[in-house]
Amino acid sequence: MTVSTPPDDPTLLIHAYVDGELDPANALEIERRLAADPALAAERDRVAALRATLHRHFPREAAPAGLRARVAAIGAPRRTEHPSWFALAASVALAAVVGSSSTYLAFGPQQPGSGSEAVVDGHIRAMMAPQPFDVASSDKHTVKPWFNGRIPEAPRVIDLAQADFPLVGGRIDVVDRAPAATLVYRHRKHLISLTEVVARGRADSAPARRSSDGYNIVQWTAGGVAYWAVSDVAAGDLEDFAQKFRTAPADQ
Amino acid sequence: MRGQASGDDRARFATVVVPHLGDAFALARWLTGNRADAEDVVQEASLRAYRAIAGFADGNARAWVLTIVRHTAYTWLRRNRSSTLVMVDDLEAVERTQADPSDRDTGTPETELIAKADAARLEAAIAGLPAPFKETLVLRDIQGLDYREIATITEVPIGTVMSRLARARRRLVALITKD
Repeated sequence: MTVSTPPDDPTLLIHAYVDGELDPANALEIERRLAADPALAAERDRVAALRATLHRHFPREAAPAGLRARVAAIGAPRRTEHPSWFALAASVALAAVVGSSSTYLAFGPQQPGSGSEAVVDGHIRAMMAPQPFDVASSDKHTVKPWFNGRIPEAPRVIDLAQADFPLVGGRIDVVDRAPAATLVYRHRKHLISLTEVVARGRADSAPARRSSDGYNIVQWTAGGVAYWAVSDVAAGDLEDFAQKFRTAPADQ
Repeated sequence: MRGQASGDDRARFATVVVPHLGDAFALARWLTGNRADAEDVVQEASLRAYRAIAGFADGNARAWVLTIVRHTAYTWLRRNRSSTLVMVDDLEAVERTQADPSDRDTGTPETELIAKADAARLEAAIAGLPAPFKETLVLRDIQGLDYREIATITEVPIGTVMSRLARARRRLVALITKD
């Protein structure tokens, strides 16, 4: 565009001149004034120098590959293998979120290893959503009470910010057709979903690692709760996360 | 929940939105201040753009995408980082505290000092600008948009773009040329 009705402040015209936004008549007029006025010429030199410096230091860059892949997936045909899963997850999560008590949904007995496909799906679905959590907070005193009334038992929430795993929020996932608490942690640029499912009577088990569709999963059971940590972080980092979560003091 | 998208929508998304992801990410990074938040913002903005793609009239796709990114970023910042979002449309307070030009190190020509400014100092100076000045400077001097596009994206008259740009640049020059 060109600026044809100049503002009163001549220095604004200097900026527009350097930006190539003046029409020819105004550009000629500015060049005449630049030749006669050292203060205006100094402003032109500063603007030109600043622009050159900014160009040098902040070249255009591409979006990160992971982001590009996720955005491209938005416009790609959706996965059709589990259409009912998505509908079910959305409707049950919505029912839980609108605040009705969901205690009528009894937890069935859990089989070891069951639910891992559901937690991976929950993680993927969350990564595709506008935000990967329903409550955004780094404060466990905000996240933990948020689950009250949405699921039968509030999850164990541990603050791991000091260990480079800051809490970023929580959401409700659906595992074996029941709502389950999922905590979302961040590790560098990656997110970790930690889903907790009540599994009364099940013996404690040590963390076991597997991978599915490029995601790492670490699963363990402690105190009648089954835990699934799902993320695209390196397997070693995810095991480190599980270890720190498990060994944190109980009343944290 | 997402509506049933047609193949046309998917094709338009791929040609209208995807080519501008680099610009979208850069704007989001400057507005949020870090890459992880910028990824969140761009992903959310992309979803919004996808839902709205049928309503995009042929025109300036980059400005349309950046308009959505800007809105998403400010909504996101208000929701998640409300303490860091400085919206005051007023640089006078910071300008009053600005060093007098005569305090400057007079041994080196000003343009040379500007040229020698290192990236970290520049980045910190830009990050410290109130949002209306920061977005105007970033869109013009880093992303290369013209005044009319910036006026459209930031929803202000061109005269306001010009005065914000001039003041943002003066502020940066003052910051990087003092000791």
